[in-house]
Amino acid sequence: MTSIQPGPESGSTPPLRPARPAPKSVQPSWAGALRQELFASRTDGLVSVLLIMVILAAAVGLLRWALGQAQWAVIQANTTLFAIGRYPIQQQWRLWLLVVLVAALSGVSWGLLRAFPRADRSGEIWPFNDRLAVALLGFLAAWLPAALALGLPLQLRWWVITALLVATRWLAGHWGRSWPPRLVKLVPMSWPLLYLFGMVLIAGGLGLPRVPPSEWGGLLLTLLMASFAILLSFPIGVVVALGRRSSLPLLRWASVLYIEFIRGAPLITLLFLGQNILGYMLPGGWAPDRVWRAAWVLTFFCGAYLAEAVRAGLSAVPPGQLEAARSLGLSMPQALQRVVLPQALRIALPGAVGQFISLLQDTTLLSLIGLLDLLGTARTVMANPEFLGKNAEVYLTLAVLFWCCCAALGLGSRALERRLDPTHSPA
Amino acid sequence: MPSTQPMIEARGVQKWYPNGFHALRGVDLSVSKGEVVVIMGPSGSGKSTFIRTFNALEEFQEGSISVDGIALSNDLRNIDAIRCDTGMVFQQFNLFPHLTVLENLSLAPVVVRKRRRSEVEAQAMALLERVGIAEQARKYPGQLSGGQQQRVAIARSLCMEPRILLFDEPTSALDPEMVGEVLEVMRKLAADGMTMVVVTHEMGFAREVAHRVVLMSEGQIVEEAPPETFFTNPQHERSRQFLAQIL
Repeated sequence: MTSIQPGPESGSTPPLRPARPAPKSVQPSWAGALRQELFASRTDGLVSVLLIMVILAAAVGLLRWALGQAQWAVIQANTTLFAIGRYPIQQQWRLWLLVVLVAALSGVSWGLLRAFPRADRSGEIWPFNDRLAVALLGFLAAWLPAALALGLPLQLRWWVITALLVATRWLAGHWGRSWPPRLVKLVPMSWPLLYLFGMVLIAGGLGLPRVPPSEWGGLLLTLLMASFAILLSFPIGVVVALGRRSSLPLLRWASVLYIEFIRGAPLITLLFLGQNILGYMLPGGWAPDRVWRAAWVLTFFCGAYLAEAVRAGLSAVPPGQLEAARSLGLSMPQALQRVVLPQALRIALPGAVGQFISLLQDTTLLSLIGLLDLLGTARTVMANPEFLGKNAEVYLTLAVLFWCCCAALGLGSRALERRLDPTHSPA
Repeated sequence: MPSTQPMIEARGVQKWYPNGFHALRGVDLSVSKGEVVVIMGPSGSGKSTFIRTFNALEEFQEGSISVDGIALSNDLRNIDAIRCDTGMVFQQFNLFPHLTVLENLSLAPVVVRKRRRSEVEAQAMALLERVGIAEQARKYPGQLSGGQQQRVAIARSLCMEPRILLFDEPTSALDPEMVGEVLEVMRKLAADGMTMVVVTHEMGFAREVAHRVVLMSEGQIVEEAPPETFFTNPQHERSRQFLAQIL
């Protein structure tokens, strides 16, 4: 084969100044940096002092209430109700098994992510953030079960589960590279399997006694509804977004009709509507009761908004990408799958995650149609004469729980975004 | 030297854009195996549109085109067959930014031709060697210079082992100092006997490498001649005007 490498540049060049390293900047001390940030000028200083006073006042007030006046017995007495609703006691081992499996798989996945860093990452097995996360987990495992006044056997279970998570993280992080590649490839694929298996564990079937959805509740119901809607709305969103850009008029009109119908109505209306008409619209077994009807409404609701996020991503991919893929002989589905969608979905990711976060919060509307999600459970607890007037304690707990879930979604998506970013700037 | 076996045969091609603009007004062109044809013309003259009809990136309404003996029709299988045999290099490179250089090259052979990845990657490395950027194989397109990206784009086309290469202003988006390295690669390809249709304004390349220069204006072919005739003794008024503007 002939080499057609271009030759070296011809012509002589005058001697150039050699490159030299950048001058070292003086690292200001921690206090110095703080002074620079907050007290650079007289006005800056004044504003900073005022703001710090306001924040301190609010924080001190909140802490005095939380540690002094607040009576947390309302939470301690109803921990199980908030966590899983009225799930039958004899079947609760199924949920514990699910938590154990999720912890183990999370630990393995987390460790493998560090064991197989992308080529352009530092490749540290225990980066600072991970050590921080483990410390936080340890603190939570030690403090939370005690603060909730759980019995010692229950506290023990949480310690074991946390230890399992950290241990699998450690194992996969240090030894993941020497595991057989087949096993490593199995890990991401086992997540959807675990989801299906978790559904069976929760609902029953395959020999396990059935636990009807009316007995699910609390955080369990909230997470189940949100994850079901998030997972299923994703394919719906992609298909509808592609449909909206399709050259087939019928497909395009159907997509536009769907998106505009859903976006034109408040979710609560759709939820009530779904309770009444979904039974006629979906095949018999799909929406047998109120919980599943609500789940489908959430899914279709989220799908419509997601379709718009994906459409924005699709329009951000230059048309030349599709042309290049097609001119190489890729069929339309191949070109979409291999070239257009990976780029479009990465662009759509932040918008989609915003959508997922608001969906998670929208699950509180389920309490208005009589389901016992977190908020619904909270309302029954507060209606209990024994705990009258303890609204602040309950709402603060709910807010912290939701904040934790949303923060986890946000952190996860940002990590995913960084991992998908090929340090590129499209030409 | 080019043989007489026709690789591209276009007869009376007419195209209207959806807005009614008559972009191609009965264009005839025949390209033989191993021939290098350079198409020139002012912007808006339809030259890009014309070569994009060869692999069905643009539709046309009247006339006929056959590529390597396969007639371009609405039959999708024909279009896919022609696209596999026809490489295209774009002005904007259009590399896939989410894939490494090596993955850019191996995607189509693995997905379309169903070849083994290891085998394709060996071939891809040889091609990158040939265009002088084997050491960049693991990088992403965004980390390369424009000239390097365009050389990757050429290698990507070659990886499908096409019988024809179409170039749509391959050097127009490049910084001046990078034009040379891309033209050098194209020159070597021509010397190896590749059939090429090149839309370009690079006079030097046309003069040196082309077997035939075609001038298009307002959707028609105005003049078709060997480069020495075209540049020194153009027959048509429009060609003289065009050459006066760009020389």
